[in-house]
Amino acid sequence: MENNKSSNTLSSPEFGVDSRYKSLDKKLSDGKQLMEARLKRLNKLSRSQVINAKLLQLKLRMEDYLKQPNYQEGNFFTNFLTNYIDTIYDKRSMFAKDINITPVSLSQILNNHREPKEEFMFRLMLHSELTYKHICKFQKKTWYQVYYHEKICDTMANQNEWRPTEKKHVKIKHAVLK
Amino acid sequence: MYIVDVKTQEHFDVDITSIESQDFKKITKKEYFFNWKLEKNYEINKLIRTDDSKILGLVSIERIPEEWRIHIRLLSVSVDNKGKQKSYERIVGNLLTFISKLAIKEFAELACVSLKPKSTIAQHYIKTYGMNVTGATLSLELPEILNLVKKYDNGK
Repeated sequence: MENNKSSNTLSSPEFGVDSRYKSLDKKLSDGKQLMEARLKRLNKLSRSQVINAKLLQLKLRMEDYLKQPNYQEGNFFTNFLTNYIDTIYDKRSMFAKDINITPVSLSQILNNHREPKEEFMFRLMLHSELTYKHICKFQKKTWYQVYYHEKICDTMANQNEWRPTEKKHVKIKHAVLK
Repeated sequence: MYIVDVKTQEHFDVDITSIESQDFKKITKKEYFFNWKLEKNYEINKLIRTDDSKILGLVSIERIPEEWRIHIRLLSVSVDNKGKQKSYERIVGNLLTFISKLAIKEFAELACVSLKPKSTIAQHYIKTYGMNVTGATLSLELPEILNLVKKYDNGK
């Protein structure tokens, strides 16, 4: 804590807070007391509050993914999408019904056996708008950005696979450039 | 997130990012109330206007994953933003929201942001940000975090 002189100077509540623990014992005992109280409060949360927290977490993780540099491989789009659907539906087929696609085609997308069609992306965007409306701001372009970010990452990470073959088909012999 | 110019009521977008080593030259006790150099071993974030590099607020935190909690160690606004003569509103609210988002990102519905202000200013934090009281500890959990995000985070 700061000394008395500065305490007086800092009497305005919005200047800030010094809440550093003075000892490890104090940190542990405060943490234990807090945890007991939190567990009681957690038990009172409604299902919709829990779902809203999970959806906010998903949105923040997608935004984090978009800030990461390229070259990171993985099925991020379908992993995020699976998380989204499983958070708000008991059965994935119900989501398929809500966006008017067949459960089979949804399953193929989620298992990376087919690419999502444009209609799917449109409907996912509209669905997310409705879902996030009362939780937080959700950028319309987020799903698109995640999808294409993953494509860029995959393409750049797998250059050794596609470059030798494709290079044979590319030349600038007929271009105006010298 | 944005802050509001008290005089003109104009809104300014803000960024909250990790501080860089050169920032320590600017973060004096006179301007930011505490000796922030003592926090070098912890995560420190600064709030600036997106169009100006002046630091308007600072927060240092300790992550306590075994308790699904982030503890705020120090938090302060710049001297220009203290009290009735302050230049901008919403600096502290934005910093608390930023830390709450970190907690949600890690712990979802179990998220908790804690701090331990002096009793004289605790009431202000309880009233303004809806904090829970447990002994001398104040905390943001669900649903307060969701309310804070809705109020302060405009998604930018």
